[in-house]
Amino acid sequence: MDEVLVADDLRKSYGDTEALSGVSLSVAEGEVFGLIGPNGAGKTTLVRALTGTTTVESGMATILGGDPTAVNRQRLGLLPQDFTPAGRLTARELVAYYAGLYDDARSPDAVLDEVGLADAADTWYENLSGGQQRRACIALTLVNDPDVLFLDEPTTGIDPAGRRSLWSLVESLADSGTTVFLTSHSMAEVERLADRVGLLNEGQLVTVGRPDELVAEYGGESRLVVRTAGDADLDLESVTLAPALRTETTEDGVTVYGVGPREIGDAVAAFDEAGVVYESLVWKQPGLEEVYLSLTGEQFEAARPAAAAAIGGHQ
Amino acid sequence: MSSLARVRSEFVASWHSFLRRRTAVFFTFFFPAIIVVIFGALVQTQPTGGGLFAEPKEYYIAGYLAVVVLFTPLSRVGSTIARHRDGNRFEKLATTPLSRSEWLLAHSLVNVVVIGLAALLLLGLSVLVTGASIPLSAPTLAIVPFVALGVTLFCGLGAIIGSVADSQDGVIAASNAIALPLLFLSETFVTPDLLPSWFVPALNLSPLTFFARGVRALTYTGGDWTTNLGILAALSVVFFAAGTLAIPQTD
Repeated sequence: MDEVLVADDLRKSYGDTEALSGVSLSVAEGEVFGLIGPNGAGKTTLVRALTGTTTVESGMATILGGDPTAVNRQRLGLLPQDFTPAGRLTARELVAYYAGLYDDARSPDAVLDEVGLADAADTWYENLSGGQQRRACIALTLVNDPDVLFLDEPTTGIDPAGRRSLWSLVESLADSGTTVFLTSHSMAEVERLADRVGLLNEGQLVTVGRPDELVAEYGGESRLVVRTAGDADLDLESVTLAPALRTETTEDGVTVYGVGPREIGDAVAAFDEAGVVYESLVWKQPGLEEVYLSLTGEQFEAARPAAAAAIGGHQ
Repeated sequence: MSSLARVRSEFVASWHSFLRRRTAVFFTFFFPAIIVVIFGALVQTQPTGGGLFAEPKEYYIAGYLAVVVLFTPLSRVGSTIARHRDGNRFEKLATTPLSRSEWLLAHSLVNVVVIGLAALLLLGLSVLVTGASIPLSAPTLAIVPFVALGVTLFCGLGAIIGSVADSQDGVIAASNAIALPLLFLSETFVTPDLLPSWFVPALNLSPLTFFARGVRALTYTGGDWTTNLGILAALSVVFFAAGTLAIPQTD
């Protein structure tokens, strides 16, 4: 497939802070590319470099085979991060306004219907709920039926139902051939939507790959998280687990690593036989969140293991 | 789609946004009213005495108009740019076919309409409240292009201020700091003979001077107004172009 977006060794600094440190990537036609990374990693700067709304110090970006500032804007859609349109226009007026800027635009009502805002079309933007506002913003990016769509954290502030309906919308756009460049802090969103994922950290593209490839490479093992009840003593010595399993005690229980779907029953039985009183048992498969945490080095305080221990001499 | 259609779309959105900010609408029209009431009715002119308002009341009509032509576009366009920048709207617009000149033209047109209406109100109040007489003749209609060009000029300056200032507060402070000296040093309310002779040539550095001279020729003194209109038109083109270039397109 043709490459629609190309970044070649992009570099950009803000003062002493290097926002992009030689980022190279390409996105094929019809692909959904997800970009993840911590706050300040350079995601928005990369979006701006690819859309021509910022200049880079070195390197080259192309979109649809040309310079981003010279691209036919009819073919481009952008939802900037923290975008706030005029507050005292109705959703319909806002969409009609942006439609009026293009040679060929879709019907505002059809677009509003698509993002689930048909019932709120006559409400001023500032009176819409946070989720409705974000949906209105997405409607503005769809009004020109773009070939390449940039969505910079599109579902921030949208409730779970609204988020899922927007995911369906992005999926249908991708099915119809639209190339989507998506940044997000929602790993579930990226995992569901993206054909490939790039992880940007401190201005560098740390890794790129299909979600399942990244999870297999960096996600670690599946695990059983056991949360013990209150101040119950946890006597791990008495729990007999399969030799291949590895454990780490945490502040409120223990995590058993390497527990596959078929080992769940035996592991739970081992805790029961040892008389461990637990509040909850959660089996987790590794996902993009684990990839993210592994590659960025970020970790939640509460998730840090209090100590590591071995059961039955296995580590 | 033509450039005209894009300007129209931007104009309509900006127009609706303005009309729905009631406070802004009220004070846009209250401002000229209070100016006329304060200076025309309370202070009054004293043609036979000394002081600041020693000229006949018709002399000050150009000054009253200059107030709205100067202040309103400066603060409105400057604030609009600050609001657009805060909401990342320019980043979005940069990926649409709308150019910066089309954007500024649309917002200048909104200001021309708004300030045109305010100027009409102001002229009416000048006649009703102060008893000033305005010649009812065809050339008087040339006030319209004077107002349109003056507004466009100061919309360009407002765009520059809005782009340089880093916040809406900064825009207001900078607008006032620029507008107040311009207002009083442009042959509006202060006659040149009240100023030191060495300063008088500096009046020609203010674009508002040519507005005031031209409008005064139309409403009071008579005489040639076309030269001032020509200079104002040339300056409007320069300030509009500078304002267009100043509007942020990238970060």
